[in-house]
Amino acid sequence: MNPSPDPARYPVSLGAQFRRNLHLYLSGAGLLAGQQLLMAKRDFLVKEAVDAATQLNADDAKQAALVMLGVSIGAAVMRVLSRVTIFTGGRNVEYELRAVLLSRLHKLGPAFFRRMPTGEIMSRATNDLSQVRLLLGFGILNVVSSIFAFSSALYVMFHLSGKLTLAALGVMPALMLVTRSFSTKLFTRTRENQEALGQMSDRVLASLAGVRVVRSFALEGAETEAFTEANKGYLEKSLGLARVRGAMVPIMNAISSAGVLIVFWYGGRLVLSGEMTKGDFVSFWLALLRLTWPMLALGFVAAIVQRGRAGYLRIKTIFDAVPEVVSGSRPRPEVVRGALVVKDLSFAHGERKVVDGVSFEVSAGGSLAIVGRTGSGKSTIATLLARLMPTPRGAVLLDGVDICDLPIETVRESIGYAQQDAFLFSTTVARNIGFSIKDPDTPEALERIRAAAEEAEVLDEVISLPEGFDTVVGERGVQLSGGQRQRVALARALIREPPILVLDDPLSAVDAKTEASILAAIERQAAQRTVILITHRVAAARRCDGIIVLDQGRVIERGDHDELVRAGGLYASFAEEQELEEDLAAIDALPSSSGIAAGAVAAEPPAGVA
Amino acid sequence: MTQASAGSGAAPVRQGAGRKDKEASRSEQALNRFHEEARLGEVYDARMLARLWPFVRPHARYLTLSLSLLVVNALLALTRPLIMRSAFDGFDAPDGLERLTRNGVVLTAVLLCEQSLSFPQLYSMQLAGARAMADLRLHVFTFLHTRRLAFFDRTPVGRLVTRVTNDVDAIGEMFASGALNAIGDLIRLAVIVVIMLSLDWQMSLIAFVAVPPVALGVNWTRQRIRDAFREVRSKTARMNAYLNEQVSGMAIVQAYAREERSAEDFDDINAAYRNANNRSIVFDATLDAAIEMVSSLCIATALWYAGVHSLSSRISFGTLFAFVAYIDMFFVPIRDLSTRFTMVQSAMAGAERVFELLDNKDEDAAASASEAAAPAAAGDPGVAFELDSVTFGYKPSVDVLHDVSFAAKAGEKIALVGATGAGKSTVASLLLRLYDIKVGAVRVFGRDASAYPRDELRRKFAVVPQDVFLFPGSVLSNIAAGDVAPDRARVVRALERIGAFDLFERREGGLDAPVLERGHNFSAGERQLIAFARALYRDPPILILDEATANVDSDTEARLQRALEGAMKGRTALIIAHRLSTIRAVDRIVVFHKGHVVEQGTHDDLLAAGGVYSRLYRLQFAREAAAAAST
Repeated sequence: MNPSPDPARYPVSLGAQFRRNLHLYLSGAGLLAGQQLLMAKRDFLVKEAVDAATQLNADDAKQAALVMLGVSIGAAVMRVLSRVTIFTGGRNVEYELRAVLLSRLHKLGPAFFRRMPTGEIMSRATNDLSQVRLLLGFGILNVVSSIFAFSSALYVMFHLSGKLTLAALGVMPALMLVTRSFSTKLFTRTRENQEALGQMSDRVLASLAGVRVVRSFALEGAETEAFTEANKGYLEKSLGLARVRGAMVPIMNAISSAGVLIVFWYGGRLVLSGEMTKGDFVSFWLALLRLTWPMLALGFVAAIVQRGRAGYLRIKTIFDAVPEVVSGSRPRPEVVRGALVVKDLSFAHGERKVVDGVSFEVSAGGSLAIVGRTGSGKSTIATLLARLMPTPRGAVLLDGVDICDLPIETVRESIGYAQQDAFLFSTTVARNIGFSIKDPDTPEALERIRAAAEEAEVLDEVISLPEGFDTVVGERGVQLSGGQRQRVALARALIREPPILVLDDPLSAVDAKTEASILAAIERQAAQRTVILITHRVAAARRCDGIIVLDQGRVIERGDHDELVRAGGLYASFAEEQELEEDLAAIDALPSSSGIAAGAVAAEPPAGVA
Repeated sequence: MTQASAGSGAAPVRQGAGRKDKEASRSEQALNRFHEEARLGEVYDARMLARLWPFVRPHARYLTLSLSLLVVNALLALTRPLIMRSAFDGFDAPDGLERLTRNGVVLTAVLLCEQSLSFPQLYSMQLAGARAMADLRLHVFTFLHTRRLAFFDRTPVGRLVTRVTNDVDAIGEMFASGALNAIGDLIRLAVIVVIMLSLDWQMSLIAFVAVPPVALGVNWTRQRIRDAFREVRSKTARMNAYLNEQVSGMAIVQAYAREERSAEDFDDINAAYRNANNRSIVFDATLDAAIEMVSSLCIATALWYAGVHSLSSRISFGTLFAFVAYIDMFFVPIRDLSTRFTMVQSAMAGAERVFELLDNKDEDAAASASEAAAPAAAGDPGVAFELDSVTFGYKPSVDVLHDVSFAAKAGEKIALVGATGAGKSTVASLLLRLYDIKVGAVRVFGRDASAYPRDELRRKFAVVPQDVFLFPGSVLSNIAAGDVAPDRARVVRALERIGAFDLFERREGGLDAPVLERGHNFSAGERQLIAFARALYRDPPILILDEATANVDSDTEARLQRALEGAMKGRTALIIAHRLSTIRAVDRIVVFHKGHVVEQGTHDDLLAAGGVYSRLYRLQFAREAAAAAST
């Protein structure tokens, strides 16, 4: 047996999933049949007991009652088991489809996630999947159980009195129709209710997200009024739903009461006329009671099927999404040296060209800085290098081989890309840094994690956290500062030791002191591997062998730091601007304040590798 | 094939459980501690209900109506077996048919009565609940708008939205689901016991022999179910959190080629979720089946007793039938009790979260009584606003402004300049008293800002923020923010004064063009223009402009410049400047550096002084040169 099942091999169609769990459904059905048989037996035993008692036959009555005890226990056990088996089937389907969902999502690129926001994906992974589970669990149970319950109860009833059965069943079709119509109505009202809730929540969200404007303009009154409107709208919709809910129960009860009255009066007459015994009557009564729930359930089944199918179709749009980036067919190379050639690389979001004919070369072990303003296309180049977006064929060559021909894992393992936004997962610091390590809990792994943290100049700060490396970060965890997050993310990239390291703006959100130490770390890295540094900071760029300057997706300047400064183009104005900034930062506001550290960095002699 | 998958379904469950106990690593333990759901003590429940009561009380008449109808209905339902008994006991009497018919009529009447009372009962319950919850929501919403701004800096907006919507809904579900009908059930149970005892106490005792062990069993299972559901909830939360994070951090998962291991991690969570659910199924199904079984057992016992006594004169057939019917009625509410209890539990959990929020004490700027009593003593009303030795920090330990003093005479136009992070934008927040200062005083028209009622203070200003926030609605409703009935003519005048009317007129829909979520369908420049118009529409004595740092095209730039001139005319203005062009239009420039005011004066004076301002000016100039070089 495979230790970790591969979600890619799970079937995705509902039919195949059903067949995969067929053994559960079949045994569940068998158990339900057994349970209903025993229930029929119980009804007959009641008849025997009552008849025996009325005929003053104490022994028979006692014996029937005793057998009934056993039968009841047996039926209960079967009932439990039937639910366990069939619901387990539904849960298995849910489990596998959810695993498939994540593994499909793992293959999809940014284009898909732009089209489908996180909230939408989550709603499909939870709500829609629950509907599918209900269809393949509760839905199937209800259908099967209703069929058997019908057969069993009707068998008992017809056996006791055909006439009375026909009379009692007169109301059944009405009950079924009413349930069906109510369940559709309930469905629409619930949806309307959800929409009103959505509108209200949007209103609250806008009001709270814009709380600064609300305060600045003293708009609290107007906002409260707008919210009151939305709140009222939601109240009305919930009361609309309440009316349907409130009417459904009495109407259904009224109909089934009509059945009760018929049995009471007509059945009573039959007993009086001697066509039925008293035992027949009690037994018939119990059988009739057993029919009520399957009747109601069948009404709901239509809605369950409808919603389950709709939910499945929504999930299927994710299953069917075509990955933009697929693995190449060439075998994985033995060694990756880390020479990179980019030839005429272009990329467009729709009509807008973000990267336009960019070419550069970095020899194995060399370093290159890509400099440009926000929106110049430099981050897009980085994501294209790691094939996180559909890289055009023939544009990026790793050791002379088109990266589109290589296995995707090889590309991403060889070209280590550290994002600009330092997204951390809500797990421990150690696991965030050791994100790419197979088993991050071994002592060796912990040693590597520590080393990476040290290399990224974040070790001391991590150790001073409440639980050190075991501190949970992220959404609800300790809030790390922007600079700390950035360096934890840097450590996460460094620990992989990839042949090519692509760093996207590692200096945003760090103070001057940290900047100096990160620059030193980058220099150490550049001595060991190919480094591509994406930045707008001249201080960082000057440490690389070569620099290209990007503007509106095009390379407008290239050379090393000194050449570019002399050329007097965009890079030179960046250099001047940043020099002035440092100059400014070096001025003390008052004699006591702390501008010295920043000044020290600015005064540092150029120590570029060039 | 089917067998293999059955094996793979069951085996990891046991293995997983064993492994977790033994080999939980330190990280694992830290994570488990972190994810453990805070357990709610039941002692809180009563307190929560007491706190909910003020919201329910205004609608208590519906609740009372509903509960009294509930009692009436519960009692009516209990008469049914008695009526039937009376009819069946007539089977052996000569007037049997007549009694049957008579009782049939009575039974019909009872049933009709019951069902027609049922709707008002259910509906008035929901009415009370839904209205109370609407009131509670409104209360939470207005409460949030009286919190300090610092509170919003700390708390994610999404969480607050959840408090107003989902958590309040969870409380409302207590009414909507009929969980409170459990009260009727309890009455019903008690009355059934009384009736049965009075019909035949011996047979009752025998029929109920099974009840105590069953009650214990049910209680045991009920607790297991509660634990199981609690586990399901926490597993669900963890699963959703993991999935959400995977989607948000997808680029990183892919860049680090970690898909396979993420899938493995997720498999653990997904399997734990499934197993938790499977456990709850077992208990749930057991409870259901046990109760159904017990009613059969009781019937059997009653029949056995009847058999022993052979339906002698003491026990009539009617009584036996009534017994069977009562036993059936007895167990239905017991089955519902557990779901109702879960419902109440989740309502209490929601209430706890809502009231925890309502316990927040960070109230926004209330005018302090002592200072309000001594008005305007401190300053000169001819000074529009003044910062007097102000020290302030967002966090207690880090000061953003140090001993800052400057003032603007009425009608004066002042620009604040300084590098990013010098503390310029903070000044605007302090003038509006969005935050409270640590040391010093902020005065507006000679009166201490903290002595104003907050609305009055804020109505003296109009702010054009750096990042303009637009509300969902239309261009018109955004410009006339705060007016329920926007004055169209005034909106047009405001837009004309800043020379932007044609721009919005041209757009499809004109002034009624919809503004989508956060105004994403408008460019940054257009959003700025709307914000200018919004400021002019209010026509306040003081205008604060926090200039946008985002690049705008030259046409928009020119428009914004005209808009600024139009907006400043005839009022005091404070411009937090990022561009050179705007600085020239002001009377005085205040230079901020590292949270201090270091220089003040006109452009020419400051440039001549060769201090911080002259460097800032050169920097700005270099930036403009860089911008020119690239285009």
